[in-house]
Amino acid sequence: MNEKIQRQIFNILEKKGIKNFIGVPDSTMKHFIDEGLKKEKILITTREEEAIGIAAGISMSDEKSLVFMQNAGFANSLSTITSLIKLYEIPMILLIGWRGFLKDDAPEHEKIGEIQPELIKIIGLESKIIDEKNFKNVCDWAMVKLKKKKTIGLIIKRDFLD
Amino acid sequence: MIRKEAVRLIAKEIGNQPIISANGFMSRDLYETNEKESNFYMIGSMGLASSIGLGVALKNPRKKIYVFDGDGNILMNLGSLVTIGSLKPKNFIHIIFDNKVHESTGGQPTNSKIIELERIAEVAKFKTYKITKNEQIKKIFSKIKKENGPICILVKIEESSIRSIRVDISPPNIKSRFMKSLK
Repeated sequence: MNEKIQRQIFNILEKKGIKNFIGVPDSTMKHFIDEGLKKEKILITTREEEAIGIAAGISMSDEKSLVFMQNAGFANSLSTITSLIKLYEIPMILLIGWRGFLKDDAPEHEKIGEIQPELIKIIGLESKIIDEKNFKNVCDWAMVKLKKKKTIGLIIKRDFLD
Repeated sequence: MIRKEAVRLIAKEIGNQPIISANGFMSRDLYETNEKESNFYMIGSMGLASSIGLGVALKNPRKKIYVFDGDGNILMNLGSLVTIGSLKPKNFIHIIFDNKVHESTGGQPTNSKIIELERIAEVAKFKTYKITKNEQIKKIFSKIKKENGPICILVKIEESSIRSIRVDISPPNIKSRFMKSLK
């Protein structure tokens, strides 16, 4: 996803009421994170579970949060999603990079990239792939779900190699 | 001093203020001895009490937020101390009940008798205190009332076979009550 749209997505979500952006960086969404860093709205944590825990505390204080992570971090977070977010019904947006989407990505991303769509489905996380064409509608969809107290996933494909 | 006794005495000092308590026997002891709506009892997601507490503390600067953690629990999320120490929330009080074992799973050892948790907290810029006897509780709690956090209190406890009842409130209900108490 290009730089301009990544920055735009950050600004749309912020304008719509997401006040906290917490997580572990992913180069797939580095411009999104950079936009937040410029505005001093980003909290970088040591692990993804930690980010979800902080977002849970914020959500229970009636503020909206987004947690960003790589898909490796999504794999780290499975137990936190089942035994905290789902169990207590705590709403937040999970923005998850999709490495391994391209077949020739680095080897450590291949397996998780392959099973990611199914993993998201099995864990019962409602999600949409966000891209350069649909991003405005998907942001609207995410905010509607959040208002209904749902946790949802936004997936960004890794469509380049470095 | 055993955990149940320490939890009872410390929660009494804290009164009506919010407590986020770790999963396992920690939450069960708190539930049996000092049940109140501003207790967030964790069931599962081990290691995250301090992270949830941090989120609550950041958004409720006028309230003091207490975290009841265990040695095994914080050892699963040591990075949390780095994040908290960097943000320095003044209203964050982290109480670690240290019995040197994973008591909830059968008493397997943690390494907190080799590596001192209070020194890790100190490096992470927490103000640290240590409680080894129940007579110290009142004194330390009256002292920290006037101090800014983040504060870490390590409470040395002994293993025990006393078991508290399970938390029988549904997790969504634990959350709703807790949220209402913050308002």
